[in-house]
Amino acid sequence: MPFIFGVSFVDQQLVSRALQSFYGIGPNVCKTLMARFNIHSTARIGALKDKQIDDLGAELSTMTLENDARRQLQDNIKRLRDMGTYRGRRHAMGLPVRGQRTRTQVSLTLALVEWDRDLAGYENVWTTFIYFRGLLLAKHQFHSISM
Amino acid sequence: MSSPLCLRCLRRSLQPLDHHAASVQRAAFSTTPALGALPPKKKGAANTKPTMRGGSSLKLTKNTRVASGRPPAPGERKALRKRVVLSNTNAIEVRHLQDLTKDLCKDVSALTEAHGKVVGLENETVDAMRALEAFKATQGWNLFRRPAVLVRKETIEMAETLHDAQSKKKTVSKVLYGSRGSGKSVLQLQAMALAQQRGWIVLHFPEAKELTIGHAAYEPVITENGTEYIQPGYTAHLLGNFARANKAVLSKLHLSQQHKLPIPIQPDITLDRFIELGANDPEIAWPIWSAMMIELTAPSKSDKGLQRPPLFVGLDGLDHIMRDSAYLDMDAKPVHAHSLTLVRDFVGLLSGSTKLPNGGMVVAAVSESNRARAPTLDYCLETNSGESKPLWDPYMPQDDRVISAFKNVPVQLINGLSKDEARGIMEYYAQSGMLRSTVTDLLVSETWTLAGNGLIGEVERGSVRMRM
Repeated sequence: MPFIFGVSFVDQQLVSRALQSFYGIGPNVCKTLMARFNIHSTARIGALKDKQIDDLGAELSTMTLENDARRQLQDNIKRLRDMGTYRGRRHAMGLPVRGQRTRTQVSLTLALVEWDRDLAGYENVWTTFIYFRGLLLAKHQFHSISM
Repeated sequence: MSSPLCLRCLRRSLQPLDHHAASVQRAAFSTTPALGALPPKKKGAANTKPTMRGGSSLKLTKNTRVASGRPPAPGERKALRKRVVLSNTNAIEVRHLQDLTKDLCKDVSALTEAHGKVVGLENETVDAMRALEAFKATQGWNLFRRPAVLVRKETIEMAETLHDAQSKKKTVSKVLYGSRGSGKSVLQLQAMALAQQRGWIVLHFPEAKELTIGHAAYEPVITENGTEYIQPGYTAHLLGNFARANKAVLSKLHLSQQHKLPIPIQPDITLDRFIELGANDPEIAWPIWSAMMIELTAPSKSDKGLQRPPLFVGLDGLDHIMRDSAYLDMDAKPVHAHSLTLVRDFVGLLSGSTKLPNGGMVVAAVSESNRARAPTLDYCLETNSGESKPLWDPYMPQDDRVISAFKNVPVQLINGLSKDEARGIMEYYAQSGMLRSTVTDLLVSETWTLAGNGLIGEVERGSVRMRM
C-alpha cells in the first residue's frame, strides 16, 4: 500500500481515482499529471514503479492542494468582500453571484439563507443545517415531480 | 427447617429458561415461524438521527438493488466474454472431412482441387492458432464439432503467394479490407495456418486495438526517430504467444548474434527459450523483442550455415494503428500510433522498409466490426485499390505517416463468396447437423442473396445462427 502525498492507497485502486481524491485535482489536472509521468489511463496504484510514485509525490508537494487550495478559495472570496465588490457582497449574503435570476426560482437559496440566520444561536448548527436542508431538498424534489 | 423452594424444583424451573431463547430458532413443529418472523430490531435504532439520505427522507423509487450471490472476481467477466469455444459436442462429426495437412498446404494444385470445400484444421494448427489468439469469440467456431475452414478463391491465391514468397525469397505485404462479415480475419487465419504448416514462423498481433487504446503500461525511449514508446507488459504477452505458437520451429533455432541485453544470456540458447525469458519478465521484454526481430530477419546462409525459415506477420484491426493512439506524451498531447515501437516494427514490415531476407508475408486486416475512424487510411485503401482516385477535403490535414506507410502496399478487397463456394459451406452446415433443410439450388441462391451477395458471415448467420 504505497503512500502518495501522505495518504496510503490500496494496490487495486486506479491511479486517476487516487489522484482525484485530493482537493484541487480534477480530471484535467489528473490527465496532465499522469501524462507527465507516463502513467496510462487504466493504471492501478500497485502497478506503479517506485520512481513514478516518488515523482508523483514530489510533484504534488509543489502544488496547491487540500487545505491550501481551500484556503486560497476562501481568501479569494474574502478579498472580494473586503474590496466591497458586488460579487463579494453577494457571497457574504449567500445569494447567487453570477447574475442568476432571483425574482423567482431561488426559493431554496432564500430559505437556506433564512435558516442560516435563524440557526446562528444553535449549539450544533452545522448538523441541524444539514438535516433541515436534506428535508427541504426532498420536499423540493417531491414538489417538482408532483407538479 | 425446610427451605421455601426445594432445590429439585429450582433446578427444574431453571431448565426452560435457557431453552426458551433457542426454541424460536429451532422451530420444533414447523419451519415457517422462524422464516416468517420479523427481523430483530437493532439496538438503539430509535435514537439515531435521521440523516440526509436516511429512512425518513422521501423515497422516489422502490427499485433497490438486491445483492445476490457472489460478485464476479476481477477479470472473471472479461474472461467469459473473451472465451473461445472451438467445439460443439452436439454437432455431428462430418465424415470424410479432408484435413489441411502439410502436403495440402505445400501443394497449390491439390488445394485448388479442394476449392469450394471445407477442410478441417489439424490439432497442431489449432493449438498454434489458439496460442496466437487468431480464433475470435465472435466467429462461429462453437457451432461445429471441430474447427474447419472453407477453401475459397482468396485462400488459393494466398497459398500461391506464400509459395512464391518462399521459393523466390521475397517479402509480400497485403492489406485485406471489405464489408463486415466478409471473412477478412478468417482469411488471415487461413494464411497463418498455411504458413504454419509450411514450417514458417508466424507472428500475429490479434487486436491492434489493444496496442493503441492506452490500457497497457508504456514508457518513453529515445531512438533515432526521437521519442518513441515501448509497452513492456503487452510485449511480454505477445512474446509468450509467439513462443507457444512456434515452439516446434523455434526450438531448433539458436541465437546467432551478440545482443545488448540487460541480463546475461547463454550464447547458443534456443530461440524459444530466449523468447520465453522476455515473456516471463516485462522489464526485459522490449530488448528481447528487438533482439528477436534481428534474429528472425537475419539472412540464411547457404550450405550448413545459419538457417532461418520465412516469417509470416499478421495484424488484425489495422484501422486502430493508422491514427493517433490514446497514449499521451509528456505534454499531454496524443502519441501517434506509429510512435509506439511495436506498431513501428509492424508498419516497417508492412510498408517494405524492413526487408525479410528469407522471404515472408505481412498481412493486415481492417476490422469492420469495431472500426476506428481513420480517414487517411480510407483514402489510402481507395487509392491503392486503383478503382478510383478519391478526393481529399483540402481543409482537413492528412496523416503523412499513414500516407508514407501506404506508398507501395497492395490492398485486396474481400467480397462475398461465389454461389459454388456458398453451396460448399452450406453442405458442410447440413452435414454437421446444424442446417436441417435440404441444400438445394434455391436455398443456396436465396441465402446467398440475403447475405449481401454471399458475405460468409451473413451466410452463416442466415443458415445456422438464426435458425428457428
